Amino acid sequence: MSTLLEIVNPSYLLFPALVGTMIMGLVCPLVGSYLVLRRTVFLGLTLPEIAATGVSFTFWLQQTGVLPQLGQSERGIGMVGSLVFTLLGMGVLGYLEQRGKGLAEGRLAAAYAFAGGLTILFMVFNPAGQIEVLNLLKGEVIALSQGELRLLAAVFGLVLLAMLVFRREFLLTSFDRDLAFLLKGRQVIWDVLLYLLAGLIIAFGVIMAGPLLIFGFLVLPALAARPLVSRMSSFLMLSSVLGLVMAFWGFYSSVRLDLPLGPTDVTLGCCLIFLAYGIRRLPMKAGVATMILICAVTSLSSCSTQVADTPVPDAKAKKNTSISLAKVKNSTGLPLLLPSTNPLRSLGEMAGKISSDYRQSVMDLLRDSLRQELEQKGYRVTLPEDTDTRFPPLAADANGAARVAREGKLSGLVFVSEIRRWEGESQRFVRVVADFKIVRIDDGVVIWERHVQRAISTPSAPYLGQAYMDAVKIVAHDLFA
Amino acid sequence: MISLGKDVDETQTARGGSSTGQFLPLVSLQNISLGYDSVPVVQGISLAIYPSSLIGLAGPNGSGKTTLFRAILGLLPILGGSLSRSCPLSNFGYVPQSAALDPHFPLSASEVVEMGAYGRVRSYQFLPLKEKERVREVLHQIGLPHLAERSFFSLSGGQKQRMLIARALMVNPKIMILDEPLSGVDEESRKSITDLLLKLTREKGLAVFFSSHDLEMVQRVADSIVRVDKGQIWLEERKARLQP
Repeated sequence: MSTLLEIVNPSYLLFPALVGTMIMGLVCPLVGSYLVLRRTVFLGLTLPEIAATGVSFTFWLQQTGVLPQLGQSERGIGMVGSLVFTLLGMGVLGYLEQRGKGLAEGRLAAAYAFAGGLTILFMVFNPAGQIEVLNLLKGEVIALSQGELRLLAAVFGLVLLAMLVFRREFLLTSFDRDLAFLLKGRQVIWDVLLYLLAGLIIAFGVIMAGPLLIFGFLVLPALAARPLVSRMSSFLMLSSVLGLVMAFWGFYSSVRLDLPLGPTDVTLGCCLIFLAYGIRRLPMKAGVATMILICAVTSLSSCSTQVADTPVPDAKAKKNTSISLAKVKNSTGLPLLLPSTNPLRSLGEMAGKISSDYRQSVMDLLRDSLRQELEQKGYRVTLPEDTDTRFPPLAADANGAARVAREGKLSGLVFVSEIRRWEGESQRFVRVVADFKIVRIDDGVVIWERHVQRAISTPSAPYLGQAYMDAVKIVAHDLFA
Repeated sequence: MISLGKDVDETQTARGGSSTGQFLPLVSLQNISLGYDSVPVVQGISLAIYPSSLIGLAGPNGSGKTTLFRAILGLLPILGGSLSRSCPLSNFGYVPQSAALDPHFPLSASEVVEMGAYGRVRSYQFLPLKEKERVREVLHQIGLPHLAERSFFSLSGGQKQRMLIARALMVNPKIMILDEPLSGVDEESRKSITDLLLKLTREKGLAVFFSSHDLEMVQRVADSIVRVDKGQIWLEERKARLQP
């Protein structure tokens, strides 16, 4: 389990993702504060949806050959589509607002529904498959590369600078347009600039973090900060601080509890709003004390020392060096078959002439790796199905595994493995949750056990199948290291 | 043409005092028509406003008082006629109805007053010390320095109105335009606001043009009373004023 100190270490695997999330958490609320104050929160929901339409549209064009394959990364192409559609969407919405016909909420709601519908339709049209595009639209910030992090820092840094420099103009235009006109002339430039900045962070944020997280960062910190302050400067500052808190604790909770980042952050943001309204009811000193107490307790509990994982013991340390290696149990509900790299076989599979059973699965690979590692540790490994081909995979429940092993007339030790989660985030990361145990068959006593819950980096894998293979090796190696 | 405040200006010049406008009106309207979507609300307005005048604009709700103010401030295009100003718009101190401002904004009273200085401060600058000093000065002038850090929208109607007057004073105005400054205001605040307006006119030489639907109250305060009703505008009364 990752501790707080581990996460903030720059050498931590997911450190770039943490930094990226925090950059978004810092900057988005500054722009979102004005959306909240101008009562245009729905714009913060509609623009990310329009950006998502741009992503799916660009991929559709590329797959149909209208756009050439430029050799850029998938995210880069998606980013272009996201940016173009966001700016176009803002232009159309701005034009309709200038004309002043109909309700603003109605226009935004219609645009949201239209964009949402188009996004799904473009995904359906895409011959490359919906899942790939859907993964991009989810915008998993966990897969943020160093180059993307630099781009994110540059764009969001620019927005932050503009928000600080033009803070008075944005405030005046938002609060009292008449006074803004008298003092600064036509204020349309400040409206355009504010929405342009919002469009920039939405267009880049959607492809990197997904529409949900960007919308959450835009509005939730501002809504949480509003009841706690009565000055504009404090409001902007607190919104940013709460955005950082939301980003950091959301990321930490996501890693620690193995939850998806976007929904975790957004849930935390909503909790902050409830907390803010609760604290506002308290007297000033009690409110501050409560906040400090919550922060201190959370930090202390998160900084707890990590218990070192013990590797599989050497065979020499055990009297019984014979071990039965049970089949790896797959509890994910997915087949976890490795994609075929042979195009003729794939065609045969599609034509129904070759069964996909010939393909190796993650479970097969993992078992092979475990066998090699156990043998290197000096164990004499036997496979239960060598004595009885009907022998099933064993669950990580020690007593159950021991009972089945006894019924199968096995003796000594049995190594059981159970995969609970195995998901590839593009080909850069594989999220793994698995349990491993060595159980004494006679009495069901657990000799050794390990719970693996982590995102495994597979940066050099050119495709998902290779990422799975790399992840298998890393998991097996870590158990014995 | 209704000329308001010219007599005072002429008197001061004859005494050897400074004539701020040198007989030039701050605002001059020649036979203008005002309205929305090409539909006139008020027509045939000819009006000249001179320095040191305290003018009340009286008329029932919806008669076009705010429309006239918005046209003078350049916020509403005129449908016909001509309008000229002898000073830039940044010299116009505008006090809107406080109810027109969004109470959702987290703003302290001093932050609202500071806004009056925004026209003079460059974007990248922090608010200069002299502007902060000026904020304190105008807050003293309106008699509410102790409320500077209070939330603007938690103030009473009268206090909010005085803070908006302070904001208008921050622009160093030559003319102040106040939209219904005395509506929804308690008697004590009403008195302090009218005293302040009189002081600004008499001592600072500002032209003050304020509106109200309460004719009786306008008659009590203003030197000149302009009536607007049923699309027409006319001079109701001009009081003789003792010069300081």
